[in-house]
Amino acid sequence: MKLLTAEESMKTCVRCGACRNVCPTLNITGREADGPRGRVLMARSLIEGNIPVNQEIKDQLDRCLLCSACVDACPIDVQVPDIVMLAKERIAAETETSVQTDIKKPVYPARTFKDYFFDHVLANQKRLNTVGNLLWFYQKSGLQSVTRGLGILKFFPEQMRQMERITPPILPPSRRKHHPEYTPSANKEKEPRGRAAFFHGCIMDVMFRETNDNSIKLLSKSGFDVVTPKAQVCCGALHHHSGKKDKAIELAKANIQAFEEANVDYIVTNAGGCGAALAEYTDLFRDDPRWLERAKSFSEKIRDISEIIYEKGEMPAAAGRGERVTYQPSCHLQYVMKVKDAPAKLVKQVPNSEYVDLPEKKYCCGSAGIYNLLQPKLANEILDKKMTRVKETESAVLITANPGCFLQMKLGVHREGMEKQIQTLHVVDYLMESIERAESGCQP
Amino acid sequence: MNETMTPPPLDENALSRLRNIFGEDRLLTNDTDMMTYSYDASFETQLRPKNPQAAVIALSTEEVSECVKLANEYQIPVYPRGAATGQTGGAVPVKGGIMLDLSKMNRIIEIDHRNMQAIIEPGVIQNDLNEALKPYGLRFPPDPGSANMCTVGGMVSNNSSGLRAVKYGVTRHYVLGMEVVLPTGDIIVTGGAKSKALKSVSGYDLAHLMIGSEGTLGIVTRLRLKLLPLPVTRGIVLCSFERLEEAGEAVNAVFSSGLQPSAIEIMDFNCTKAVNMMKPELNLPLDNEAILVFEVDGAKEEVTSQVNRLRTVVEKYTNYIKFSDEPEECEKLWQARKLVGAAVGLLKPGGFRVYGGEDICVPISKLPETLREIHNIAGRYGIICGIYGHVGDGNMHTGPVVNMNNQLEMENVEKMIDDIHELAIRMEGTTTAEHGVGIVRAKYMDVEHGAAMEVMRAIKKTLDPNNILNPGKMALPN
Repeated sequence: MKLLTAEESMKTCVRCGACRNVCPTLNITGREADGPRGRVLMARSLIEGNIPVNQEIKDQLDRCLLCSACVDACPIDVQVPDIVMLAKERIAAETETSVQTDIKKPVYPARTFKDYFFDHVLANQKRLNTVGNLLWFYQKSGLQSVTRGLGILKFFPEQMRQMERITPPILPPSRRKHHPEYTPSANKEKEPRGRAAFFHGCIMDVMFRETNDNSIKLLSKSGFDVVTPKAQVCCGALHHHSGKKDKAIELAKANIQAFEEANVDYIVTNAGGCGAALAEYTDLFRDDPRWLERAKSFSEKIRDISEIIYEKGEMPAAAGRGERVTYQPSCHLQYVMKVKDAPAKLVKQVPNSEYVDLPEKKYCCGSAGIYNLLQPKLANEILDKKMTRVKETESAVLITANPGCFLQMKLGVHREGMEKQIQTLHVVDYLMESIERAESGCQP
Repeated sequence: MNETMTPPPLDENALSRLRNIFGEDRLLTNDTDMMTYSYDASFETQLRPKNPQAAVIALSTEEVSECVKLANEYQIPVYPRGAATGQTGGAVPVKGGIMLDLSKMNRIIEIDHRNMQAIIEPGVIQNDLNEALKPYGLRFPPDPGSANMCTVGGMVSNNSSGLRAVKYGVTRHYVLGMEVVLPTGDIIVTGGAKSKALKSVSGYDLAHLMIGSEGTLGIVTRLRLKLLPLPVTRGIVLCSFERLEEAGEAVNAVFSSGLQPSAIEIMDFNCTKAVNMMKPELNLPLDNEAILVFEVDGAKEEVTSQVNRLRTVVEKYTNYIKFSDEPEECEKLWQARKLVGAAVGLLKPGGFRVYGGEDICVPISKLPETLREIHNIAGRYGIICGIYGHVGDGNMHTGPVVNMNNQLEMENVEKMIDDIHELAIRMEGTTTAEHGVGIVRAKYMDVEHGAAMEVMRAIKKTLDPNNILNPGKMALPN
């Protein structure tokens, strides 16, 4: 659990500036208000009532990616994203009740849709699956080509049009049934490396089903007995980050319960965003001693898939095809879960491939949830800079470790028109591809 | 955080001309922008922030020059700023005016490794420069604790240094030449307009007049820096002393034995306590008055032999000793020292670590006495503080810890800071060894410098007749 609450933490900032050189937005604009120190001061002034709630301060705070790079760099862990979130909650509350502010209130249908989506779709795997079925139908029925052909998409903002183009192909409903509840270690000769529960995520399991299937395979091949509890639900990160703490707590309780019953050594995720939220469940129960202990033992078991395989597993034989590979870390993975380079270390173990470090990999890619929809200009500048660095590495494969990063990097590659030269892959899919190549007899 | 002074907006004509120079995106006048340009890392600006009237983000020497010329025309103060990591309010706009943000002028223009020099813009971060130099086996040695965030331009303007100054000196020793925008807006290059020489005694040494002038005499827009080879390896000896005096004697003995450590750091008992609170696994001895950390560097075999000699020299003064010449183990031993700046805040629940009186320097021989005296002063005001610093050159960082909501403590800590600065002068030392004067130490300048202060004022007046550049600092004319 974090030592201090957001309100306590904001008072400890001495403005030393240690956060300046890791902030992706400050790196682009150079403007102090676009850096963590500026944000802490603005948020604190707002929370303490020293400055009014208005559109200007809202716009400024909305520019934060909440990537947590600053917390990692801070010598005393000032919780900048939590502080910014708290200020945004105050702004939202004020906007609801006050007539004094100039803030544009969200349009009614959009708000209702968001509420419905968060409360009833993300939190309900069945309904989310239905959305997946619709998407699959959209892609497979020819509707996608019709829509694109008719130019209907031009009525959507440019960012959404781009996202439509890079949405991965959804697996058909027949291949999205529930994962096997138990998959034993594939390494029959040796003692298992431990009992790992797989956390499949909500959107991840619909949009990136193949990556999830591969994750279970990879864990099993690396020597783990894998359990995939049926009762698990969405991690609640999106709910928590949009101020729906009650729903987040409800989801957290369901997950804690589900994974207690699984009786495992580790709980493994393949999405940095989910992993970070799960690892921070303790903060949801700060004031609830009955659940705090259970949340603690749950959070202590959270591991990223690359981390657990590198540290406790045994990576199976793999074979590359002579490609050069680079890796863009997930911010939540490297800054919240503190898994800095496990994915890169695994990739380096693939023979007949060459790993190169991505310059400035410390900076967020600009995905950050739906940031690229809300802050298109800044997000594009961040992405363009990122792609310049990717191109410098002359890599054929760009590895990611989180679905948001994956989509953003794919979008970056698409915008550069380099889909033929650069393949974007989740680290798990890259490793499984290389392992299967070795299994099929291709010697490196 | 209350006493914000909000100056009136700038003249509309001046603004529109600034807009022509910097464009819409790089001229800032929003309330939130002004608020975030009101501080640096000083305690002073936490208490009394100082808003500018406008801020501009410069990308070239020409923009800087045009901005300064315009400021002369309209008589608007200009405050140059790098990363604003200073502890003295040196880069804050005490008289409104234009905040000139140079942090985006951050290109490394040339690494001329065969001539052991680099040409850079002032906004380059110290650590980024050293990362870029690594492949060439070179480095830019001055190493302030803020190396991860401070700009080299800021280091030059404050002549900053760090824990390895005892062997490698300060920023001043590594500046070969610079391009400067003068307070009139004219552009000059010091050290020979086209020179790439590593030594020169041709003409007045203008670069060295600019170094440490804290942006009052000119704005550095390009730097030619001297580089050194990277040391192959380093070794650490950490030892603890029952009494401060023994630590002082140990330092003396090391120097007399002919050893030249690359760093000698001291931490007092409160610092030891704080570090143990933050990292219990370090398990530092608690009932002693001081810990010393020695670092030596060089080729592998040289380091091993230096570590062994150091151990023998300090052994008779210490009751606890740990050492290593293995990089990983050294890193662990260094941790104790690296954490201390942040850790002292833990000395008191809800405590806030104040940077004030944090940079005095006294003769090495007076160090034990000064340390005791600082604790006496703190005791008189009922304030807890941890003291650490670069004992190899007598430079100490005092970290008082207060509760920001306690009015009495806040008043007392300001008095305590005054007393520490007076103590430094009494001990034949200086009020600041690395961080600079800015606004927080301006009041001690006349006592410290006497008649020399008038010469400084005359120089300022000659170069900056309209008092445009960074006015209100260093006890220069307001």
